[in-house]
Amino acid sequence: MNETPKVLVIIPAYNEEGSIAHVIQRIQSVSDDIDVVVINDGSRDATVEVARAAGATAVIDLPFNLGIGGAMQTGYLYAHKNDYDIALQIDADGQHDPFDIPKVIEPILRGEVNFTVGSRWVEKTAYKSSAARRVGMVIFSRLIKWVTGQVCKDPTSGFRAADKRVIEMFANYYPVDYPEVEVLVHISRRGLKFREIAVEMSERQAGSSSITPIKSIYYMVKVGLAVLISATRKEGAL
Amino acid sequence: MTVFNTPAIYVLSILFSLFFVLFVLSLVRRRRLREQYSIMWIVLGVVIVIVSVKSDWLVELATWLDVVYAPSLLFLIALLFCFAYLLHLTVVISKLSDRVVKLTQELAIYQHREREAALKKEGALHE
Repeated sequence: MNETPKVLVIIPAYNEEGSIAHVIQRIQSVSDDIDVVVINDGSRDATVEVARAAGATAVIDLPFNLGIGGAMQTGYLYAHKNDYDIALQIDADGQHDPFDIPKVIEPILRGEVNFTVGSRWVEKTAYKSSAARRVGMVIFSRLIKWVTGQVCKDPTSGFRAADKRVIEMFANYYPVDYPEVEVLVHISRRGLKFREIAVEMSERQAGSSSITPIKSIYYMVKVGLAVLISATRKEGAL
Repeated sequence: MTVFNTPAIYVLSILFSLFFVLFVLSLVRRRRLREQYSIMWIVLGVVIVIVSVKSDWLVELATWLDVVYAPSLLFLIALLFCFAYLLHLTVVISKLSDRVVKLTQELAIYQHREREAALKKEGALHE
C-alpha cells in the first residue's frame, strides 16, 4: 500500500433526497482525502441534484432502477476504473456514522484483511432492531459461520470496506437483490479474509427501508439458497 | 389412413399444424423471431404435422410404452417439451438481464465522464 491510499465512499441512493446531503457532508468532515461517489439508482426525487449540490466527488445517474446489487456494483466498477485503493459503502439513509470510517478501514490499511463489515453487534451499541430482523441476522450469521468458517454477527450490515482485490472482484461480479450476505461467502470462497468492526448505528433519518415484511420471506429463501449454492460452486465459476 | 376418411378432429389437427409451421416461418421472414429460436418451433410444428397425419405411429409408440390411452402420451410429450423450453427461456432471460445491467452501469459511468468533461470545458471557456 502506498503512502496516501485513494479512498472512495460509495453511497447507493434510491429516493434519498432527505438525508443524502447530510451523509455526504459528514463524510467530507471526516477527511478531505476521501472521495464520495453517489450512485443514483433511478430515483424519482431530487437525489441527483441534492447530491451534486452537497459536493459529492461524482454522481452517477443510472437511467433506471437496477436494485441495490446493481447500484453497488456500479460504485465498485467506478472505483476499479479510477484505481482506488479502498472502497467503502455507506447507506444513504444516515444509519451509519462516517466518523467510524477510519476504524473500519484500519485493518485493511494494515493489510490484515481484505474486507471489513461495520457491525452493530460486536460491542453493545445503542441500536435496537425488530425481533424478526434479529432472528434473520442470527440465522444468516450461523449460515456464514458454517459455510465460511469466519464469524460475522451482523452479515446484513451495509457499512463495508473493500481493498483493491475485492474491488476488482466486485467490479466483475456482484450478487443481485439482497447482496450483503452472499458477498461474504464470495469473498471467503476466493480465499480472502473479512473481519467485523464495531460501529455505531442509528435509526434511518429519512426515506424507507427497501426490506418490507412481504419481501423478507423472499429475502430469507433467496439469500439462503444463494449462499448454499455459492458454497458448492467451483472456484473458477465464482 | 388417408385424410378423406378420417374424423374431423384429425383434419383440424393437420390444418392447425400446417398453419402453425407457416406462421413461424412468416414470423422469421418479418424478423419478429430469430432464426436461432425458430428452429425449435419449426421442428415442433413438423412433429405435430407428422403425428396428425400418421396418428397410428403415436398409437404404436403408446402400445410399445404400455400407455393405454395414446393421446395421453401426446400430452406428456407436449408437457415435457413446454417445461424444457420454458427453462431454456429463463436461462436466456437471465443472461440478457446480466448484460442489460452491465451495459446500464457502463453507460451511466460513461455519461458521468462526458458531463465532467463538458463542465470542465465550460469552466475553461469562462476563464
